[in-house]
Amino acid sequence: MIIPCLVLAMLTLLPFAGARAAAGDVNAGREKARLCAPCHGQNGISSRPGIPSLAGQRDQFLQWQLVFFRSGRRPNPVMVPILAKLSDRDIRDLGAYFASLPPNTQPAATRPDEALRARGQAIVAQHHCANCHTDSFRGERAAASLANQRQDYLVKALTDYRSAARPSVGVAAMTEAASGLSDDDIAAIATYLAMLGPAGR
Amino acid sequence: MVFRPGYLGLLATLPLLSAPALSPVGAKAAELKSYDSSKPSFWQHPPPDWFLGDETEAQKGLAPPSGPALPTPPDELQADLKRIKLPPGFRIEVYASGLPEARQMAWGKDGTLYVGSFNATNVYAVKDVGGKREVKTILKGLNMPTGVAYLDGALYVVAIDKLLRYDNPEANLDHMPAPVVVYDDMPHYVAHGWKYLVVDKNGWMYIPFGPPFNIGIPPTSVSQIRHVDPKTGLAEIVALGVRNSVGGDIDPRTGDYWFTENARDWISDDLPSDKLNHITRLGQHFGYPYCHQGDLPDPKFARGHKCSEFTPPVLKLGAHVAPLGMKFYTGSQFPAQYKDNIFIAEHGSWNRHKYQGGRIERVIVDPSGKSARQEVFASGWITGDRDYFGRPDDILQAPDGSLLVSDDWAGAIYRISYKK
Repeated sequence: MIIPCLVLAMLTLLPFAGARAAAGDVNAGREKARLCAPCHGQNGISSRPGIPSLAGQRDQFLQWQLVFFRSGRRPNPVMVPILAKLSDRDIRDLGAYFASLPPNTQPAATRPDEALRARGQAIVAQHHCANCHTDSFRGERAAASLANQRQDYLVKALTDYRSAARPSVGVAAMTEAASGLSDDDIAAIATYLAMLGPAGR
Repeated sequence: MVFRPGYLGLLATLPLLSAPALSPVGAKAAELKSYDSSKPSFWQHPPPDWFLGDETEAQKGLAPPSGPALPTPPDELQADLKRIKLPPGFRIEVYASGLPEARQMAWGKDGTLYVGSFNATNVYAVKDVGGKREVKTILKGLNMPTGVAYLDGALYVVAIDKLLRYDNPEANLDHMPAPVVVYDDMPHYVAHGWKYLVVDKNGWMYIPFGPPFNIGIPPTSVSQIRHVDPKTGLAEIVALGVRNSVGGDIDPRTGDYWFTENARDWISDDLPSDKLNHITRLGQHFGYPYCHQGDLPDPKFARGHKCSEFTPPVLKLGAHVAPLGMKFYTGSQFPAQYKDNIFIAEHGSWNRHKYQGGRIERVIVDPSGKSARQEVFASGWITGDRDYFGRPDDILQAPDGSLLVSDDWAGAIYRISYKK
């Protein structure tokens, strides 16, 4: 049972043939990302509460968020004014750059609350999160990488999805998935995802 | 590794179960999913697993693909279209680009083309200015405004639970007037709540209402097609037992309404087939959720019903091809044998191991729905096993008899024309 699942998971992670001509330019993105470093970290790994790490985040997810900030559909007093004038090219370059950085793979350093972590794992299973975010929770396409993201940021993100304060991509999957979560559920999920080990457990 | 909740529960309780509890009847009852649609909370928050939940371990990981965040740039679109295969004499070109998540199209006055969108919340106007198309975002912030129509000098937009009318839009493209809500007796959930508008010769509109889940016993207000008079707000139910329909057209030969329908998910890669349907009698039931593709009783929800109780499709279009917008061809640019044929935009699979659809089908059928046959008209938007560079979702005939095709993946509109 485990082996076929792993094979399937690996198949779904295979890169797609034929990279698009419109893919962003990592070097151009590095230049454009200088403004981002004070908050999101020099290597895209944030040490600031409530601010997400972007290193190794999925290119497509990043681009969607930049599009949402640019149009104001994802309201944020800091991000919206900074990003209002981004061009499509800027968005592609920034997405490519942050996706190219090695992600944080260190589980959150706080002492694990085992019961909370286990509860988070159960909720994540119950909601089929891995269906889009993959078994490793490193994401795929427009589904975000979640593993070892900042715990406080995961709480903020889920809370914002729950209240529809931020939009979801495509068929509104996150708005719906988060709609029934309690504050305790969100704390448990964030604990589990922030503390994931390298093997995704 | 994620187990389905039911499976996990079964594993956890397995050692405690006595033999009789494992009888087939008990197992069946445990598998049967039930949604409590009797409370308003159901309408507020459809079950979070409405598009998942029924998948098997082998189908895990087949999640809805999101398109690119940005529309495909024009030069790249031109290159992509070289891969599209068409019958001899036909050619495809970019008509307009830069329309994120472009969906249904409708012609307004003075050559203005209106285009809805999916999650982009926008409605666009496209105008031909000296042979170049200018795209303007005329409405923003609407809730999945997928369906648009034009009638008596007004633009109609359907956005999940409201049918909106914008008067004299051509004179106000830069500052659209506040809409008049002409019909809102619609549930406000989003799941399968995105719609399509087809106007008949009396000015009434056919509007589909999809169920807020993959499969289940639908609440009474959905799984149907209504016929709505936008002048008075009067509505009648013309078809029942319809799952997710996001396309249809009126047969110019008879005035009958034909529509495409997306079948349930998670049975297999090859079952059940999506459908082309034809309403011949008021109130016909097309089978959902009891029977699929006219001849396949649902493994859970058939509940004693036989497929012979329901109206079968005119044509099985194939599993997971996702037929959306469709049009009868009434123009004279294409060869004579295309007259009154149906063109169907197939959006393509999202949860089949190897995608299919993502193309335009041609259906040749007589007005009664008999002797239908289909062939691929335009294909090539699928790359590899599970990726796209475009997904056709609607078709509209242009005044010169060419066909426009909208693509919500590339955020573009193409034109297919014919020259001997």
